[in-house]
Amino acid sequence: MLVWTRTGRALAWGGGALLMLVVYGAPIIVIAMASFARQWNGVLPTGFTLDHYGTALSGDSAGQIAVSLMTGAAASLFAILVGAWAALALRALRPAPRLVLDLVFFMPSAVPSVSVGLGLLVAFSQPPVLLNGTTAMVILAHFVLISAFSYGNLSAGLKRLRPDYEQVAESLGARPHYRLIHVTLPLVLPYVVGAFGLSFALSMGELGATSMVYPPGWVTMPVGIFALTDRGNIFDASALTIVLVIVTLVVLLLLGRISNRAAR
Amino acid sequence: MPIRRNGTRPRARKLMSVATDSLGAAIAAPAFVRAGEIGSGVSFRDVTVTYGATTVLEGLNLEVEPGEILALIGPSGSGKTTALRVVAGFIKPSRGRVSIGDEDVTSLPPYARGLGMVVQNYALFPHMRVDQNVAFGLRAQNASRELIASRIDDCLAIVGMSKYARRYPAELSGGQQQRVAIARALAIRPRVLLLDEPLSALDAQIRRNMVEELARLHRDLPNLTVLYVTHDQSEALTLADRIAIMKDGRLNAFGPSRRLYHSPPSRFAAEFLGRANLLPVTVEGYEAGTELARTRFAGRVLLARPSPATSTGAKALLCVRPHAIRRAEASDANAFAGTVASVLWQGEAHHVTLDANGTVLRFAVSPVEDPPRVGADLWVSFPAEDATLIPEDANG
Amino acid sequence: MASGNAGLSPAFTLGPAPRRLIRTEAWVIPPLLVVAGVFLYPIVLILRQALSDDAGHFSFSQPLSVFRTAAFWSALEHTIEIALAASAGCIVLGLALALVLSFVGFPGSRFIARLIETFVALPTFLVALAFTFIYGSAGMLNEGLIAGLGLKSAPIDFLYSPWGVILAEITVYTPFVLRPLLAAFSLIDSAQIEVAGSLGARAGQIIREIILPAALPALLAGGSLCLLLTVNEFGVVLFIGAKGVITLPLMVYDKAIQEFDYPTACVVAIVNIILSLGLYSLYRVLLARLGGRRAGLD
Repeated sequence: MLVWTRTGRALAWGGGALLMLVVYGAPIIVIAMASFARQWNGVLPTGFTLDHYGTALSGDSAGQIAVSLMTGAAASLFAILVGAWAALALRALRPAPRLVLDLVFFMPSAVPSVSVGLGLLVAFSQPPVLLNGTTAMVILAHFVLISAFSYGNLSAGLKRLRPDYEQVAESLGARPHYRLIHVTLPLVLPYVVGAFGLSFALSMGELGATSMVYPPGWVTMPVGIFALTDRGNIFDASALTIVLVIVTLVVLLLLGRISNRAAR
Repeated sequence: MPIRRNGTRPRARKLMSVATDSLGAAIAAPAFVRAGEIGSGVSFRDVTVTYGATTVLEGLNLEVEPGEILALIGPSGSGKTTALRVVAGFIKPSRGRVSIGDEDVTSLPPYARGLGMVVQNYALFPHMRVDQNVAFGLRAQNASRELIASRIDDCLAIVGMSKYARRYPAELSGGQQQRVAIARALAIRPRVLLLDEPLSALDAQIRRNMVEELARLHRDLPNLTVLYVTHDQSEALTLADRIAIMKDGRLNAFGPSRRLYHSPPSRFAAEFLGRANLLPVTVEGYEAGTELARTRFAGRVLLARPSPATSTGAKALLCVRPHAIRRAEASDANAFAGTVASVLWQGEAHHVTLDANGTVLRFAVSPVEDPPRVGADLWVSFPAEDATLIPEDANG
Repeated sequence: MASGNAGLSPAFTLGPAPRRLIRTEAWVIPPLLVVAGVFLYPIVLILRQALSDDAGHFSFSQPLSVFRTAAFWSALEHTIEIALAASAGCIVLGLALALVLSFVGFPGSRFIARLIETFVALPTFLVALAFTFIYGSAGMLNEGLIAGLGLKSAPIDFLYSPWGVILAEITVYTPFVLRPLLAAFSLIDSAQIEVAGSLGARAGQIIREIILPAALPALLAGGSLCLLLTVNEFGVVLFIGAKGVITLPLMVYDKAIQEFDYPTACVVAIVNIILSLGLYSLYRVLLARLGGRRAGLD
């Protein structure tokens, strides 16, 4: 629209495509190359091997994949539940308390993840609630970080909902809980599914809080990847990273399909 | 159930009632509107709604009769939609009471008021089929399955959407969706039907059809009370039994549609309800031998129907609708002169603007006649019975 | 009559207004309790640990001793300078990409926009890991330069300075400026630009006078969001692992996990939290002032 001449447009197109390729394509491509590489001494890797994927999909690493998936599912489920509950409940409040509580529910995403981990470590390594060294701590940490995000997502979705539907439902005789179950929730379902997907992705990539609270028996993929790079196994780390990316994308794709069908 | 009449033999009476029932069922309104069940009236008593420093509705006193269609019209910001929402229960009045029938509903939540609501954007639940939408209110109130099934059939038949029962709203056009929305509201047999600008989102052609549909609906369901909010005065004139004109949060004019149109009580009402030509005149008194008022305009004597609010010697506005003005001769009764300012052809008429003594009037000339020339002097007249006087009030 | 009403509960009959079992407002309490328990309570405890001395009484001795160390100030300085530089970079890159994607009719620009959205879902350390492959001392760029120019040692070593972190963070966080910009640009009526073009305006003028004013809310809001996110970034800094580049989150991690020095970690964490909350308030204020809609963050 801005550029009228064909050469101008080709230049802008080319420049933009190059920029995007360098900035966003390169990282993925490079890690993918490393994951298949036997050696990398020069500019480009040499040799092709699937050994690294073999390591990534077996033994310790396989366990990490399972851990990440389970943590992601559990944390996202709870986060959606609490986030949706909070977003729906907040609508009934007057503007002043609503703003305050809105800030409260958003705060976990405004605070550094490492500090969240530290807080959980400090709080639950002492009575009354002792969770130190348990898997619950990891799921809790992910939950705290994700709940603010899913709350925000659902809040925005609810704001986009036209009040007409709920008002007409109420005028037809539907009591508040009937209206909630049969009208409000079905209408926000696409947002819920979308929020679940993104929450899951967030959890899969979470490192800050997890590295503060994880017990030796519950290692997520990001922590595992860091351990591998720390030891110098950069190729294995790359393979596991690619697995992480693929798993995340698959989950997003599946949930995106469901969300689209729900949006009808 | 027919009341037992003394003196009639039981068997004959039974035969008679069976006969009249089946005859009635064959030709009259659908099954669910039983004879004798009347919709309720609505009454506003001094209803006021304020948001902080702004008063959106002020001291509204209005009675809606059971079974009538009352149109609430006015420009945006006049408070008409607020009044409707107060009846629906979505806005709580800062002062005043609202009653439906004999029941004061001011403190009742919307779902307990027994109303049906149709909104501008239809608001059909997109995740439910047409029949599920129609059934929603009944299911929310735990009606039996048989009742729900029969009501769905009846209501969809009334609005002519029976064939679309298993479709989803996204597959329907605007007009079709609005009909389903009406069916959905009727299904719960509301005491009052609330319509909030129901036709504003539709194309002009579809809107015309829907106005006829609504008129037919009112004929088929004579006992249904309808409160109809619109900014379109032609819808109101066609459909409503009585019209309430709102302005700046207050009730400006109120009365039966025809009376309000032929004898508007205020300048605002005259100009809002149909096009109006307003001539500033001086009232001289009554014309001898008639019930008409005698007024003077630019040296001519003009007769019109009087208004109780104007007095002899005072200034007033003579309101005559464009369709009542005809070309005339200087010698005709009730005639006056002016200069033709513009002539615009619009297919079904020539629209003529006339400058008479500084006042601009509009009227139409049939397309088969030669239109007057711009700049020419022209005499026009109107029948006295088609003109009315309005008090010259600063705020109309 | 009776059959007509069968099964329809009398909702329209006289009776007292239905009482709600629980006030509607009270429904917010359960999630509030959860958040208070797992988020507010831990933070209060961090605060308490930071502000107590060895005997457990309230004291400022911990924070003071931390503030006396050079390491703390270095970390704070690095955090702020990296955040500012990265956010500035995000704004520049985001604006450039948004202009190209929105206004230079592009086959597949929608697809690319979706791709960039997906990038946001990926872990941040991915970029850092890739950068060690590309810009590291044994990475592609250096090897290429050594081979091509016949050098003795790796000329490029910015990766192990704050610049490496900044570049990585620009890559990761530009989408947070790009998305609101794309949304804001999509709200611009294309007719405006076409009319301007027909009146003789060149691209530069159109950008300056029509597009940028529309972009400003999104730029400001997105930029402040980037500030917040880069101040708190941990994965990138950890993975690049440069010796001299310590940020506040990394310092908290080191103190707590490597050195078991919880009091110091708590003090640094509190500083980090205060900085974040301040930036978050700035972000919210900007959103409120500029209108979420226009900032494309609706």
